[in-house]
Order: sequence, then structure tokens, then C-alpha cells
Amino acid sequence: MNRFGLALKWLLFVWMIAVIWAAFMWIPSAQGFKGESSRIVFFHVPTAWVATLAFLVSCVASALYLWRRKPKYDFGAAVSNGLGLLFAVLATVTGAIFAKIMWGAYWNWDPRQTSITILLLIYAAYFALRSAVADPEKRATLSAVYSILAFVTVPFLMFIVPRIYFSLHPDVITNSDPNNSLDSAHLKVLLASLAGFTGLSVWLYSVATRIEEIRHRRRQEVL
Amino acid sequence: MSRWLAEALAVAAKDLRAEFRTRVALNSLALFALTTLAAVSYTIGPYRLATEDRPFLLSVLLWIVIFFAALAGLDRSFVKEEESHTAPLLRLAAAPTVVWAGKLLYNLVLIFALMAMLAPLFCVLMGFEIAMPWRFVLVLAAGGYGLAVITTIVAAIIAQALTRGALFSVLSLPLLLPLLIIVIEGTTAVATGDLASYSESLRAIVTMAGAMTIVSAFLFPVVWRD
Repeated sequence: MNRFGLALKWLLFVWMIAVIWAAFMWIPSAQGFKGESSRIVFFHVPTAWVATLAFLVSCVASALYLWRRKPKYDFGAAVSNGLGLLFAVLATVTGAIFAKIMWGAYWNWDPRQTSITILLLIYAAYFALRSAVADPEKRATLSAVYSILAFVTVPFLMFIVPRIYFSLHPDVITNSDPNNSLDSAHLKVLLASLAGFTGLSVWLYSVATRIEEIRHRRRQEVL
Repeated sequence: MSRWLAEALAVAAKDLRAEFRTRVALNSLALFALTTLAAVSYTIGPYRLATEDRPFLLSVLLWIVIFFAALAGLDRSFVKEEESHTAPLLRLAAAPTVVWAGKLLYNLVLIFALMAMLAPLFCVLMGFEIAMPWRFVLVLAAGGYGLAVITTIVAAIIAQALTRGALFSVLSLPLLLPLLIIVIEGTTAVATGDLASYSESLRAIVTMAGAMTIVSAFLFPVVWRD
């Protein structure tokens, strides 16, 4: 690994520690939330963001694969769907903990919980499809098509379904009510955490794609 | 354009003719829907539900029967080409988009036939009163079209995979769930006579079905090319 990459890795290490410290020690707990439950926003929102970002990356990589037909794009799509699955599970779990504290139950089929469930099902279906096709090229093509199809349904989950149904989910990011927005200290930590988690996912992505490429080369050598 | 349409109609006609010889898909669609309807009607019947819950719960039941019947019957459209080894001939005979449009038409005919049989029967057996009947037909038609578009492209994908039967439901369901949620909302709206909610749902169904049509038309040649 080159010097620059190593420096970035150390920066990420220090950055994440600072974010965790700020989230638990520096920020006072927010008004209107039970106990310390508002602190989960610094971890719940970034994991949900990374899950959505991974989905976008996978869609782009899939489209690139269908266009260029290079195996590396297929690895990119598969790896980023795997990361998406991991972070979507983390977002679901942190969300359920918050729901238990604030609303009284871990799960109540709130629209956001419904949409994340469907997202998890899509990720799981993607890997079910990959495991069902033996030929690598066919597997890459079919899973790329499925990934793009799935991506088309995501806007409907994110925007239309929550608009039709009433949601208890706090809407601090997108609403315009000045009384209900984050104060600047909270916003700073949240943005720092978003940057940290994005960096973390980029690092995980680069490690996982390199592993996939080594595996691919080994398979070619054996053949 | 007219030539393209004529070829697509020819593919659909070929499939329908083959279907009427064996009636595999029609039988599984109709029998699945009828047995589920019988079970629902026997256990719930027209009097069990509270009046204020009826429009929503009956819409949910109606669409669950339609969606799962579709999952039971619509996976055949491409699998049967691979199983009977007629797919290479079809690849030679027609352009990919023609095959896609033909198969979509075939699936549409099957779904509309299923709905034409099931929806009136469901309304009679369950005492489902619809405030806006023509708009109900429109929601059924739009929802059925969305269902046909999504199941057609997924059927094309699974025809190339190893474990076909189970995979069809696994891949279709996540793509269909948003549509299912919206059509249930729309059906509840036409049952209660809520025009605003009906218009919002119908627009969402048409947007989703339209987006899926364009994406599948673009992606189908990639799946179909061997």
C-alpha cells in the first residue's frame, strides 16, 4: 500500500474515534427525545446513507458491466451490494432500538421500516440469483440486469410509499420547519459522521474488490 | 412500426395457441386463485369484518390472491422455451424487443383473464361493495399491467438460471411489493369513493409501470442474447 493510502487509513481511524467521542460526550442530548435516545441519529442516519449509496454504486457498476463487459465492474456491483446489505441491517437494528425507546415497540411497520425491509429483500434476492447461475459471465449479466431493475423501484419506496402512509419517523433532514431542525452542533457532528461512514465504506469497498480480483485471477490460473 | 407490432402479436399468438393446447399456465393461475378465494371466503365470509375495516382489508385480500396466483402461473413464459429447446429458433426468428413485447402481451392476456374471472367472483363472495366501479376496473388494469411487466422480465432472467421455480418468487416479490402497496391503496380508495387518494395511487401505479416498461425494454435484449 502506498503512503497516501496509509495516511488516509490513519485519518479515518482518528476521525471515527472523534465522531464517536463527539456523539456521546460533546453533544448534549436533544430536547423532545426520551433519555439519550437522540444520540443514535449519529449512527443510524450514516448507516442508512451508506446503504443507499451502495445501492447507487451497484447500479452504476452494473450498467458499466453491461456496457464494457469487464469482470471488475461485476465485482464492484457484487461487493457494493454486500456492503449495502451489511449497512442496511445496521440501519434496521439501530432504527428498531430507537423505535423501542421512543414508540414502545421494536417493530411497527412504519413506512420507513417497510421500505428498508423491501430493500433487504432485494439485496437478498440479488445474492440468491448470483448463487443460482453457474457460468460467471451469465451470472454477471443477469445480476447486473436485476440490480438495475431493483434500483428503479427504490425511488418508489423512498418517496411515494412514505407519502401515502403516515409515519412516526423523525424528519429532521428534509423538513422545512425551523423549530424542528437540527441545531448547528448536532448538524456538524452528523455531517462529520456521514463523512466518516462514507470513508469507511470506500475503504471496505476497495479491500473487498481487491480480494475478489485476486480470487478471479486465481481461478483463471487454475483453469 | 406496424411490422414490429405484427411480429410481436405473432409471438403472443403463438404462445397463446401453445397455451391453449396444454393450459398449464391458465390452469395453475385459475386453480390457485379459486382455491385461495374459497379458503378466504370460507374463513372470513361476507360478515366477519367490521364495516370500517372492510374496504382496506378486502383490497388487501383481493390483491394478495392476484399477486400470488400470478407468481404461481407466470413463470412459464420463458422457461418453457428453454425446456422445449425452442429458444434458439425464437432468437433467430424474431428481434429481441419483438420477443419481449410478445411475451408481455401473452402475460397481459393471462392476467386480464384471471382478473376478469376473479374480481367479480371476489366481490360477490366477500360482499365487497365498490363505490366507483369503472375506476376500480382502471386500477385493476393498471395494476395488472405493472404486474405483467415486472413478471415478464424476471421470467426472462430466471429462465437462464438453475433453480427456476423458487427463484421466480424470490426475485419478483421485492420488485412487486411497492406496486402491491400502491394498488392496495388505490383499490381501497375506489371502494370508499376517495377521489384524491385514487388519483394519487393511479398516478403512482402508472409511473412505476411506465418506468419498468422502459427499463425492461432496454435490458431485455441483454438477457435474451445468449
